[in-house]
Amino acid sequence: MSEETLTPSDAPETEINAALQKKIGWGFWLAISWVIFITLLAILAPYLHLKDPRGYFIDIDGSGRPPYGPSFEHWFGTDKDARDIFARSLHGARISLIVGFSAISFGFIVGGTLGIIAGYFRGWLDKIISFCFIILLSFPSLVLAIMLTALLNRSLFTISMILGILSIAPVGRLARASTLQFSDREFVLAARQIGASDSRIILRELLPNVVIPMSALALLGMAVAIVAEGGLAFLGLSVSQGITWGSLIQIGSDSATTLENAPWIAFFPILLLFLTVLSLNFAGDRLRSHLDVKESSL
Amino acid sequence: MKFWMQRVAMAILLLLSVSALTFGAMNVLGDPLFNILGPLAGDVNNPKSAALIEEVKAKYDLDKPLPVRYVKWLGDFATGDMGVQFSTDGQPPVSGLIKERIPRTITLLVMAQLLAVMISIPWAAITAARAGKRSDKISTMNSFFLLAMPNFALAILLKYIFSLKLGWFPLTYKAIDPYFERLRQVFLAAVTIALPAAAVYQRLLRTDLITTLQQDFILMARAKGLSRSRVIFRHAIRPSMFSFITVVGLNTGGLIGGSIVVETVFRIPGIGSSLVESVLREDFPVVLAIVMLIALAFVIINVLVDILYSIIDPRVRR
Amino acid sequence: MNDSDPRTTTPLLEVSDLKTYFRTERGTVKAVDGVSFSLQRGQSLGIVGESGSGKTVLSRSIMGLLGRTNLIREGSIKFNGQELMGLSVKEMRSIWGQEMSMIFQDPMTSLNPVMKIGRQIAEPLMLHLGMNKSEARLTAEKLLTDVRIPEPQRRLNQYPHELSGGMRQRVMIAIALACGPTLLFADEPTTALDVTVQAEILHLINEQRVDRNMSLILVTHNIGVVAGNTDVIAVMYGGKIVEKAPTKTLFSSYKMPYTEALMRSIPKLRQASHTRLATIPGRPPDMVNPPLGCNFAPRCAYARPKCLVEEPELTVTENPEHVYACFYPVGSPEYHERKLELSQRVDSLSTGGQN
Repeated sequence: MSEETLTPSDAPETEINAALQKKIGWGFWLAISWVIFITLLAILAPYLHLKDPRGYFIDIDGSGRPPYGPSFEHWFGTDKDARDIFARSLHGARISLIVGFSAISFGFIVGGTLGIIAGYFRGWLDKIISFCFIILLSFPSLVLAIMLTALLNRSLFTISMILGILSIAPVGRLARASTLQFSDREFVLAARQIGASDSRIILRELLPNVVIPMSALALLGMAVAIVAEGGLAFLGLSVSQGITWGSLIQIGSDSATTLENAPWIAFFPILLLFLTVLSLNFAGDRLRSHLDVKESSL
Repeated sequence: MKFWMQRVAMAILLLLSVSALTFGAMNVLGDPLFNILGPLAGDVNNPKSAALIEEVKAKYDLDKPLPVRYVKWLGDFATGDMGVQFSTDGQPPVSGLIKERIPRTITLLVMAQLLAVMISIPWAAITAARAGKRSDKISTMNSFFLLAMPNFALAILLKYIFSLKLGWFPLTYKAIDPYFERLRQVFLAAVTIALPAAAVYQRLLRTDLITTLQQDFILMARAKGLSRSRVIFRHAIRPSMFSFITVVGLNTGGLIGGSIVVETVFRIPGIGSSLVESVLREDFPVVLAIVMLIALAFVIINVLVDILYSIIDPRVRR
Repeated sequence: MNDSDPRTTTPLLEVSDLKTYFRTERGTVKAVDGVSFSLQRGQSLGIVGESGSGKTVLSRSIMGLLGRTNLIREGSIKFNGQELMGLSVKEMRSIWGQEMSMIFQDPMTSLNPVMKIGRQIAEPLMLHLGMNKSEARLTAEKLLTDVRIPEPQRRLNQYPHELSGGMRQRVMIAIALACGPTLLFADEPTTALDVTVQAEILHLINEQRVDRNMSLILVTHNIGVVAGNTDVIAVMYGGKIVEKAPTKTLFSSYKMPYTEALMRSIPKLRQASHTRLATIPGRPPDMVNPPLGCNFAPRCAYARPKCLVEEPELTVTENPEHVYACFYPVGSPEYHERKLELSQRVDSLSTGGQN
């Protein structure tokens, strides 16, 4: 369990260089590929020769009463109204991914800006912004999301905004911490001595550096947003009339008999959701450790 | 002493801000009049409905300015009066609903937290002792997969396997059943919440354990002739618990969020499912009351975590 | 201090050609590279060396405390006639704390910070001697008295951070002595302590050793520490023992130039206050690729070409207890020749070219 090590403290230069060149791993690229793949499918969904996601493909004479299991005709089977799951899953990807992406983008823009401002200017501005972050974080995020969906209309835009608001605090905190860390570094002081204005310093010196650690958070945040939207949709609180993974899962699991006899209705959307979230989590995680190594050996 | 006063003051400030924002959001973005009267609320020209509107306005102080209403509501809330359920017939008091449902949610959360802690500690101990070896790597991979699964999906999977296919757990919750039977009904829901939480706890505890195990006093404990499990459980665990306790405490809030979904899937009539129902029915007093309770719980838990922390670490005690 | 009793012929501890290597990314570190010695019951051995000499690894290797991963351990270790090499951890555990125990360097980090002192002492008592809580507590109290800690009852309920450094070390000693071991390892027991406390602790250790007829292996980098407290001293360098002798003999007639350098590095009261502290120039050898020939040769003032290519074996002097490994030891003609050269060089430098 405990070992005695005697290695002298001067590791040769080559070791540090090796660490810097450490690859991010094939897993990372695999995960990113999946995300790109599913995004492409989602974007192209209306143009692929899919069955109509809102169409009813009842075929009593041929296959009996729906729900139909997976077959050559319906790759993921159908639900009990004989709607094609495969088509619906791909269409569902559209909303889920759009919401995920928009939410984290919104969170980044707003949260990131607030965080950088707080970290750069400090003082009472920092105190106010940090307090706002704390308020946002004093709720379990789902509760806040539910509350807001109760009050506002349920359009794609609104739902994205709501989830975006939820990500402001975590993004903002990281941006603030990063900014605080970098503000003390020499290159910022150097810029200030030349007489650069605050906005110039922020944009040209701080922003590029702060963005790096935040990029891993972007991937992770997107995963969280997708899951959050899934949760809302599952509860019936997401985009009204929208097909999203969460709503598909809800349809497939609402009644115990459906779940028991036709599990594919829920399971295929679950699979897609799981794979996407897993990929984003994995990619974000790998990116973060990759960047940490670089940072610590600088 | 000053430390505590600061914390409490901050907590109160937080609660006030949260409640003000929530109340404000509810009343500005929503329309209470509409909730109570439905389409009649817009029908100002009809004298009968106009009178009704006035009556309702007076009854619920809807004419007074927002801050006044907020203060009044806050006062009522503090004394236990949470208004009435707008969308239920007869408009029974909200507090009744809460009283009825809270025990179930609390049972669920307590069970979930207990399970999570009970699972994570031995899991962390084993993986810390075998750090770097194959079993550890497999465990890390499994955790990762587990955490990538959204809780409603996990709930459905567990329901499918254990309730439907294996029949080990009942499908519905019946309030009239004896206590033990009800616990069984809640169990799967608790497990759904507990598993991802356990994965998070385990990961953290494992890291801290590994660090602790490098310390000199662990070598000393081994040199005393203690067995490996003794060394871990008697010596290594306690100093490693600090972050663990903090995370467990702070995560309780996250569990609350999880309970919302899980209560819906497993059809448990608790606060979580009540929140969802009242949102769908646009019954704002209920939504407001539940949100406030949750925020209150959050803040109180944070303070408790601080107290617990100072008890565990004798070095922090002043 | 008594030397080996002729009646006890079987040594308590017999180490033969012990090797301890670590596999690392850089290569295999030969921390202990063939060490042999024996120790009688009640005898005390001092192992002296710089950091990096392998002395700490040696003590832990003998006890068997090193982790198994990436470890190569060979040779023989006989304790009370029983071969320890090859025993499983489980078997070793019945020896640890009970027959063999260790005192560590830094008592602040070696005591569990969140456990009361009493419990830490009681632990081995309950485990090995089967005492119950109250018996253990009483014994713990008595042990604290033995190690001269005032108010022992109060101390039992305190935590390590509430005690001073010296007291903590006494607690460590109490824990180590709890079950009455026959062999005690003290790994730099005074390095982390104030100078005034050091002497007290060493005195305490020795007192306990005599009282309990216990063997002691005292590991340190400070040759002054072993001067008054050991029967035999072994000097370690580069993973090997380069000289071993009964203490008096070592101080009076050391043979190895390295030992000479160690002796000279002790500050002496008699010296004038501005006298520079003599240090040994250079650094310890790289134990992944130890130098060809004598490990100390690159830093040795008396080294000759042979030293750099051939490794000296341990030779015995007239005193069978005194061994050393050097081709041109202190007192040899080559030694004196070199010494003359060196002093002439120093003279010419200090006169600044007047000649």
